[in-house]
Amino acid sequence: MRVFALALVLVVAATMVIGIAGLPPHGDPDGPVHTHVGARYLEQGVAETGLRNLVTAVLLVYRGFDTFLEVVVIFTALVAVLALPSATRQPPPSRDESAAASRRDTDDAVPVSPVVFLVVRLLAPFIAVFALASLYRGHVTPGGGFQSAAIIGAMMIALGLVFGREHAARLVPHGAKAWLQALGPLVFAVVALVGWRLTGAFLGFPADEAAHALREALVVILEVAIAVGGAVILAQLFMALDAPS
Amino acid sequence: MTLVGLDLDYVACVVLFCVGLYMLVAKSNLIKKVLGLNVMETAVFAFIVTSGMIDGGQEPIVVAGSAPPYTSPIPHAMVLTGIVVAVSVTAVALALIAQIHAHYGTIEVDELKELP
Amino acid sequence: MSVVFDAVMLLLLIATAITVARARDLVAAVVKFGLYSLVLCLVWQHRGAPDVAITEAAVGAGVTSVLFLLTIAKTARSERR
Repeated sequence: MRVFALALVLVVAATMVIGIAGLPPHGDPDGPVHTHVGARYLEQGVAETGLRNLVTAVLLVYRGFDTFLEVVVIFTALVAVLALPSATRQPPPSRDESAAASRRDTDDAVPVSPVVFLVVRLLAPFIAVFALASLYRGHVTPGGGFQSAAIIGAMMIALGLVFGREHAARLVPHGAKAWLQALGPLVFAVVALVGWRLTGAFLGFPADEAAHALREALVVILEVAIAVGGAVILAQLFMALDAPS
Repeated sequence: MTLVGLDLDYVACVVLFCVGLYMLVAKSNLIKKVLGLNVMETAVFAFIVTSGMIDGGQEPIVVAGSAPPYTSPIPHAMVLTGIVVAVSVTAVALALIAQIHAHYGTIEVDELKELP
Repeated sequence: MSVVFDAVMLLLLIATAITVARARDLVAAVVKFGLYSLVLCLVWQHRGAPDVAITEAAVGAGVTSVLFLLTIAKTARSERR
């Protein structure tokens, strides 16, 4: 099996190296990545979208469909994880010593060290402020929807690890949990329909100068939806996998 | 930097991809396989972002102190989407692994193949 | 200078990926994967992709590693062979 795996890896590596030899060298200003659509996004991106962070402009305005379907992807992953009853099943009688050993490992699991406890509690407000700043300034500095979602999600996971399951479950309000998880796809669908109403194109943004404020408002709404929805989904993935076996 | 006509940054991405592919194919533990899948995904992201670089370029954020040339923003957007998809796939794979262990008691592929 | 830094980072990346592959204790493998994710975040920053660096830092160490550790707590602690 190992020999077969090594042979396969060598064949794939050789194929990819042969393919790389035909690529233009990276960093060449005349390469196709910089001269086709990319050049137009760089020249007219700020004027057309009103966003100075061109990555956010590409994500939300120029390639909005990709972002729409990607929030649907992570929502679907959450649905798939919640649909598996692995959390509620008892582990079977030990097949071998490794399973029993792993249970012994968790039986005398180490409680949370006071250093970790203090550091997480101290840093959590600053992490939250940084995530909100990254979200709010995401159109002029590096930042934006996904970054804030990842930071807030990681912070909620850290709090969940430190405080325990019962307290962590209170981080997301229980009644609104289902709506917050679906916030990404729902808000994207609403903005897409609004764009259809305004411009005739699904998920279109009004292009004229007078609608500048409306365009910025739509972008901010989308970013907040991505951030909140993504963070709640990440925290919920942690809660689902953390449930006692 | 290039060596014998090959772009070394791209070759590094190929090597990473092959390390991940070896983990995916050769290791018997399912969690190791998912780790290998993650390494493969990050190798592809490295390749995509490297392809968008430009000589003397800076990050694609048009503020007062910046001037062209900018690195292309399209690969960054694709990689951000890719990172989220990678997290989704990893989460579902890990939930499935927990389910397999709860049902069969093992997560080694060699032992799973011998089950009736 | 930048070329040397770039070469060292890429070599470090490959070396950490190989240590992830060779680790037999799964918790050690996940910790090394967190280290791989940190080196990758520095590579993103060096390549002029700060958005990707922020996301990789938060997702690689914060989310993916924790999900792996939760699954390891429920299943096996070390690789069998």
